[in-house]
Amino acid sequence: MSSQAAVFLGCSRSGVGCLVPSTWMDRRKCCVQLSVHPSRGLIDEKFNVQVQKFLPGCQLTVHALHRCEDRNSWEAFGHYMTDASGTVNVSQDTSVGGTYSGVEAMGLLWSLRPVPGSKPGLRLRKKNVQTPMEVTISVYQGHQTEGFVDQVPLASVLVERWYMAPGVRRIPVTEDGLTATLFLPAGPGPFPGVLDLWGAGGQLVEYRAALLASHGFASLALDYLTCKITMETGKMVDNQYFETAYRVLQQHPQVLSSRMAMLGFSFGTSFTFKMAVYSQVIKLRCAVCIGGSHVQPIDASVKEMFTYFNNNASKIRVNEKNEVIWRDVFQPTADPSIKVDMGRLQCPLLLVVGEDDQNWPASEAAKDMKEMMERAGNSHLLTILSYPKTGHLIEPPYTPHVRASIFRIFDTHQKLMLLWGGQTVEHSRAQEDAWKKILVFLRENLYGAANPSATLSSHL
Amino acid sequence: MLRAGLSVKTLWQLMEMKTKTCLKVHGRMADLQHAMGAFRWMSSVRPAPVLTAAPVRALIDEQISIKGRFLPPNSPITLCSRMHSEDGDLWEAFAHYNTDASGSFSLTSDRSVGGSYTGCEPMGLFWGLHPPPGSREGLRLRKRNVETPYTVHVSLLKGHVSPSGGPITELAAVTTERSYMAPGVRRIDIRQNGIVGTLFLPPGPGPFPAMLDMWGMGGGLNEYRSALCASRGYASLSLAYFEHKDLPGPLRELNVGNEYFKSAFRLLQDHPQIVAERVGIVGLSFGVYLTLNLATQPGINPSCLICINGPMGRSHFLPGDKGEVKYWNYDERGYIAFRQISLPSNMAPEYKVKMEKINCPLMYIIGEDDLSSASTENADQIEEELRAAGKSHLFTRLSYPGAGHLIEPPYAPNARVTMWRIKPEKMVALFGGYDAPHAAAQEDAWRKILCFLESNLRG
Repeated sequence: MSSQAAVFLGCSRSGVGCLVPSTWMDRRKCCVQLSVHPSRGLIDEKFNVQVQKFLPGCQLTVHALHRCEDRNSWEAFGHYMTDASGTVNVSQDTSVGGTYSGVEAMGLLWSLRPVPGSKPGLRLRKKNVQTPMEVTISVYQGHQTEGFVDQVPLASVLVERWYMAPGVRRIPVTEDGLTATLFLPAGPGPFPGVLDLWGAGGQLVEYRAALLASHGFASLALDYLTCKITMETGKMVDNQYFETAYRVLQQHPQVLSSRMAMLGFSFGTSFTFKMAVYSQVIKLRCAVCIGGSHVQPIDASVKEMFTYFNNNASKIRVNEKNEVIWRDVFQPTADPSIKVDMGRLQCPLLLVVGEDDQNWPASEAAKDMKEMMERAGNSHLLTILSYPKTGHLIEPPYTPHVRASIFRIFDTHQKLMLLWGGQTVEHSRAQEDAWKKILVFLRENLYGAANPSATLSSHL
Repeated sequence: MLRAGLSVKTLWQLMEMKTKTCLKVHGRMADLQHAMGAFRWMSSVRPAPVLTAAPVRALIDEQISIKGRFLPPNSPITLCSRMHSEDGDLWEAFAHYNTDASGSFSLTSDRSVGGSYTGCEPMGLFWGLHPPPGSREGLRLRKRNVETPYTVHVSLLKGHVSPSGGPITELAAVTTERSYMAPGVRRIDIRQNGIVGTLFLPPGPGPFPAMLDMWGMGGGLNEYRSALCASRGYASLSLAYFEHKDLPGPLRELNVGNEYFKSAFRLLQDHPQIVAERVGIVGLSFGVYLTLNLATQPGINPSCLICINGPMGRSHFLPGDKGEVKYWNYDERGYIAFRQISLPSNMAPEYKVKMEKINCPLMYIIGEDDLSSASTENADQIEEELRAAGKSHLFTRLSYPGAGHLIEPPYAPNARVTMWRIKPEKMVALFGGYDAPHAAAQEDAWRKILCFLESNLRG
């Protein structure tokens, strides 16, 4: 052995290493098997990562690397010990260190974070939903914490994570002045329709609508801030814009006109609450609001909402890290003239609340809405999902959590570091649980209950 | 309107009748759609049927679990699969099931009671695919471009129907994608040292064990088995040796000799991401002869050999050659069974491989209904010669009743009959095999091939 090149192998139960010839190591390397199943899955689908045929009682690091569309790299890793048969099964075994710990089947995805040396304030969002998110899963010897790029792994596989299931159709919509994208599920239809609204960042964000279509809902992602009309005329859209979007979706031959919902996030919840309660055109079977508030001047247009925001700018705080906290701006007060009258709501509403939301006062708003609805006698329509240590950005599961990130104001292009809140572990659990329940809620209300006598919230 | 005890079937028929009445009242297309939609939802008791497939993007050899829910209980339904080949031909399969008491079904546990297959066949909608009646004869489903998936559309239909090539009315549908290449597998064209082939490397740094992959006298360059091997962790080189435009000499002749095959084997061994001592060879049909012949060349030491339905020698003529015509048998349609030519007794002695020189494990796979190759007789011959040389421990035989010549990666349809040549004259070849036993053979053989590779290339 002394005459051959040797490799230090961190092995054996006592943690003491041993020297082995590198030719032997080469042979071992070609035996170790890394598999991820499924290798092509939907974003919200679980996968199973297994390492097999390595040595027993050995330290291994399972690592995930993703290079996103804007060329930043994100990584996650877990520290494991192979069992007596030289196997690590991420769904069953305990990670004893890394970016996640414990038994976490999907930790390699939800604990992804920018690699050391990255710019601060990054956020991971897929722009092109027609291609998959590609993640390289690798296994390294020993318990590594850095320098992965400089090392050769024992094995490596590529995994695809898709927002669009096969057969889902993506259709840009520009009629009637809209800037939107329609996603139709595979199959004959007709399908229930969901109008999908994002927040104050603007842009046409498609990924959640694409994923909803993969679950059987015809979904329209709508840009209402940086849409063509606003970019060309400088004027923000009026409330009719949302009604037009609803109408266009509803009248599509493959959409069930009587089975429509709205799903709003953040600033998008403002319009969801408003339309659900006041619109004569929009008749929803149900609504989902994530991380938002019903506080707004009654019947405010988009422009008026921003005016309200600016008038309350004194309530914006900045913490010691220069992270901007917006949560106090849309706080509910006793004044009914700046709240949507939730007592007039006539359809089931699911509120998803992060208790550590630093951007919108979702918790306080939910509490206020509940009180309004209890007084009005329609609180049986309300279901609240409230998650401790969970922040503002409650997104589809198994995508990374960020506590703060750079936010570009859509019209001035000014950049801020916004504090979203949340602790990674709890926030990731919340995303997984909330998404599951959102799908059940939509399915029950839009496709009909499996058990006709079941109440709306009993399944949740 | 609803009388007590109204059967589900009658309820559905009533809904259909109402739909038809509505059609007379509303003439316009948009209204028609809404009317149909409205009546679909007339019953608020039950949501729309849901059809799921998991995984919806799968490798060719992965089982896809197809399930349905929210259907009427204990009711007849039909599942129909459809796809278009790269040549644009329609392939389809269908099967009849009955939902259970909860209105659900699952192809992994339920039995088909009719259609393209019967019994519990989770992947029957894929291996049972056939061109509909009236299609071109002798079609064979083979993927040329392995970098894209097969898209198979699976539909759920009401009742027990036979959707043969015509329009169908779906209750629900799901689209599946089935690939030969896993994400990260690299496809590399090889045109060096005179070698014509395609190399597939698994993802990752390697080094990897490898397989040299050869097909039969159909010629060309068939990549799909190699691509799938790479998806399972084995580097693999598909090797062209006959009727490929980049090979030297006239197209209709075999212009390469022992040196060509040795070069290909060495190319694998010399590759920086391949472990030189862990290279095996797989051959189907005439590829079996090439596999065995190469394995006995001096300086060539494969780790293992897989032989599927092929000869351990050859005549002076090549299969398909005019000189072999006297050995051909014809059926009543004029289709040709090549089988006889590959009987050991018809082989030229100088072309019979000396099996005593084989030094590694050899797995021989037989389709007992193989009409193209005398597989059983060749397996017997190989086994006998190995035994005589004291090497019977090297030999494994897998034999499948009802399976034909083309034992390929699983869940793909069998071609019992295939268009062999169009020019200078049309020749249709008989390969044998019946759908269900052939599918079972492909599934079992592939599983055993992977185990065999694992013990011999990774053990």
